[in-house]
Amino acid sequence: MNTSPNPATSTDQDDAALQELEASIVAKPPSPLAEFWHYFRQNRGALAGLIIVAIVVFLAVFAQVVAPHDPIIQDRSAIQMPPAWQEGGKMEYLLGTDAVGRDMVSRLIYGAQLSVFIGLFVVIISVVFGVTLGLSAGYFRGWVEIGIMRVMDIMLSIPSLVLALAIVTILGPSLINAMLAIAIVQLPHYVRLTRASVISELNKEYVTASQIAGAGALRQMFVNILPNCAAPLIVQGTLGISNAILDAAALGFLGLGAQAPTPEWGSMLANAREFVGSAWWIVTFPGLCILITVLAFNLMGDGLRDALDPKMKR
Amino acid sequence: MSFLESKPGVALMEGDNLARHYSVGGGLGKQTATVKALDGVSFSLEARKTLAVVGESGCGKSTLGRQLTLIEKPSSGALKINGAAVGNLSEKDAKLFRRTVQMIFQNPYGSLNPRKKVGQILEEPVLLNMDRLGRKERQERVRDTMAKVGLRPEFYGRYPHMFSGGQRQRIAIARALILEPKVIVADEPVSALDVSVQAQVLNLMMDLQDEMNVAYVFISHDLSVVRHIADDVMVMYLGRVAEKGPTEDLFNRPLHPYTRALLASAPKIDPTQRVKSEPLTGELPSPINPPSGCAFHKRCPFATEHCAQVRPELRVFDGREVACHRVEEIS
Amino acid sequence: MALLEVKNLTVEFGSENNPFRAVDSVSYSVDRGEVLGIVGESGSGKSVSSLALMGLIDYPGRVTADSLTFDGQDLLRMPARQRRKITGKDIAMIFQDPMSALNPCYTVEAQIMEALKVHEGGNKRQRRERTLDLLNQVGIPDPKSRMTAYPHQLSGGMSQRIVIAMAIACNPRLLVADEPTTALDVTIQAQIIDLLLKLQADSDMALILITHDLALVSEAADRIQVMYAGQLFESGPADGLFAAPRHPYTQALLEALPERSEGHDRLRTIPGVVPGAHDRPDGCLLAPRCRYATDKCVAQQPLVEDYYGRDVRCFYPLDDNGQPTGRTA
Repeated sequence: MNTSPNPATSTDQDDAALQELEASIVAKPPSPLAEFWHYFRQNRGALAGLIIVAIVVFLAVFAQVVAPHDPIIQDRSAIQMPPAWQEGGKMEYLLGTDAVGRDMVSRLIYGAQLSVFIGLFVVIISVVFGVTLGLSAGYFRGWVEIGIMRVMDIMLSIPSLVLALAIVTILGPSLINAMLAIAIVQLPHYVRLTRASVISELNKEYVTASQIAGAGALRQMFVNILPNCAAPLIVQGTLGISNAILDAAALGFLGLGAQAPTPEWGSMLANAREFVGSAWWIVTFPGLCILITVLAFNLMGDGLRDALDPKMKR
Repeated sequence: MSFLESKPGVALMEGDNLARHYSVGGGLGKQTATVKALDGVSFSLEARKTLAVVGESGCGKSTLGRQLTLIEKPSSGALKINGAAVGNLSEKDAKLFRRTVQMIFQNPYGSLNPRKKVGQILEEPVLLNMDRLGRKERQERVRDTMAKVGLRPEFYGRYPHMFSGGQRQRIAIARALILEPKVIVADEPVSALDVSVQAQVLNLMMDLQDEMNVAYVFISHDLSVVRHIADDVMVMYLGRVAEKGPTEDLFNRPLHPYTRALLASAPKIDPTQRVKSEPLTGELPSPINPPSGCAFHKRCPFATEHCAQVRPELRVFDGREVACHRVEEIS
Repeated sequence: MALLEVKNLTVEFGSENNPFRAVDSVSYSVDRGEVLGIVGESGSGKSVSSLALMGLIDYPGRVTADSLTFDGQDLLRMPARQRRKITGKDIAMIFQDPMSALNPCYTVEAQIMEALKVHEGGNKRQRRERTLDLLNQVGIPDPKSRMTAYPHQLSGGMSQRIVIAMAIACNPRLLVADEPTTALDVTIQAQIIDLLLKLQADSDMALILITHDLALVSEAADRIQVMYAGQLFESGPADGLFAAPRHPYTQALLEALPERSEGHDRLRTIPGVVPGAHDRPDGCLLAPRCRYATDKCVAQQPLVEDYYGRDVRCFYPLDDNGQPTGRTA
């Protein structure tokens, strides 16, 4: 540094100094991902949820490798065998067997596969259609909006399980139909959420700026606006997975979802309810699996909301 | 298409009686009312010049900006570029128009898409309007423009939230500039910035004007900024022009009582320049239900019965245009 | 004795070992009937210091001061309840955005009467009369009909008048106005400033006017305090402070104003930006942006010292010609 006055009168020098200074400042803020992780990590529950979800997903993906038995093959020599730590249990069947001698552990692991599949399938279907409808409603307003939103209002005014039951009854009971029914039932939530965030984004100047640059409706909707509405959708999607699992279990329980002998947690629960008194493990473990998985997804969803919603940040 | 070619003796951009009316209200059992946000505004802008539009909030200056960039179509009147009216443009002409007129917004935080990198933001206008450029040429153009507005090339891959207000406004200026337009409509481009940053951005805008021969429509409420940057000033009140003329004349000898009041209300640092006058009483009337006659008569110290009944039209007086019945007496 | 005396007020945010000083050892005093203008760019700490004064800095912010006395009472060392009684009654504050300062769910009357009830008491009729009185005082035309209006039915200027009426409801002795006119148009700004100064003069109230507008503060204030990055850089009587600035920052700010330029000349800018939380220089906070900075400025922080009747935080305060003094070439 010099001790004589800086002859900083020309704008060139000002600019040079300015750029140097700002370059040093600009590098400071962390990337969005790092910032997200910073906030997400602070939420213990969300972290626990994430770990459990990771385990469930791992089991689902590698079910064929991890599961000790085939979930459908019946071992006639081991019907209603209690868990290994109880009298009469065997290490071979860690959590016992069900009424027809199928290994509980394997059925639960394959059930996880099914549950994760149901959750993802339902959420992907309803997000894709919900976001498209919501974007159109929010972007075009007018009659498009009125049409879409009134249909969604009607769907919301019917209790969700009743609606799902009605749809499955029309389509016929099967796992795929159950998933479609659940996806349709969940649709209005995504439509409403997307529409609300699109409307608030639409007033922002960056949208007008792109309009002046000549961006058409599709580009505005999907390239410019949608990424800015992603945060609440991610949260809703995560929570939607748990809802889908729960609804699928409910439909399975009522006999309208997965059909025997598919190892689905809800139908496992339903088929075993007569054994509540005699063989508790057949009922308890599928119930626990549903509970823990749904709880984990919910915790993770809450954590995502806290981390992604700027209003919740300190 | 003709409107890209400049013709001798024809202004670069002209507004001919531009008006924009909105209907409000409606709903259950309510009558719809018409708000004349812009009510017959004419102006002309020459190449390389700066026309400032001043007025208080609700005077229609931002609505005017929206008509000039065709974000909205005027309810009546015409916008002309090089003498050719731009009405319903074909997609090809719309591209030409966008390459002629661009815009800078007030809020540098809201006008940049937070989920896009600087490079992507700047590339969008090129991608949409200059079909012939390949990917490499586009990126080159982005980098050239960034250099012009004093942004370092490594900012290309950064997100807007990493920048200060002044830097963001530079990005916004680069976006408006990248198509090399003839006219840039700047809606309060410096009013969200601190004094020292404001000076940087104003200097940049003036440098770019010299370098790229761009004309500005500079919408602002800050009179000292306007005096510094503008060649001509148009003072608006309730959707209409109150006074229009060359900057120095207008500031040195304001004619319209509203212009006088605006100048007197602005605080001044130099005690010798302070004019002690009664501040304007009352507020801007509601545009839904504007006063009869001259819209300003309820706040005007010179108003007469005539002013309350007959609306003054803009007329030439002393080398500029004024909409006041009594300009001869009060000047 | 001064009405309000602040000595070395510091407000810190962030962790204990890596704190960010939003306000850094700021001292000032306000007398009865005086208008103190605090001026600075964003990030200068001008708003935070007044929030600290009002006791409105919440965890995780930490407020420390050598003393913070109002009318002889030490605000820092009194119980929170007693302090709340003073702030709100004797010290009132108005904010930048009048729309968000009013509760949209209640009428004007209900909100002013609520303020009166908390601090003044009295029965409903007295309070209603006093409310009407206040609305008259702040120049609201046809106050009777405005009493039952909801905030969304009022313009920005009217809302700010209501906010002022609420602030002066309990005859405060100090009014802190934080950017009271920034959201308003110039003609309305002139009305509101006139109103504030009239109320201030009528009741011998002290007024702290916080703003970024140099011209506004030079017209309205008796004394001016220029802040930068949380520090007081220059303070003194308003007369002459902007005519002959002693601190290079004040000088640079003035030169950046468009009204100081001749014709279409380029403005003189201050390069760079206000230092943020992570990049505060070790020496003088202005050193990286100051055109007179020397090695000493980079290495060492100057203290606030008296220089011809002004408090200036600079090693080389400017003389009448705007040239730095005391510098060895």
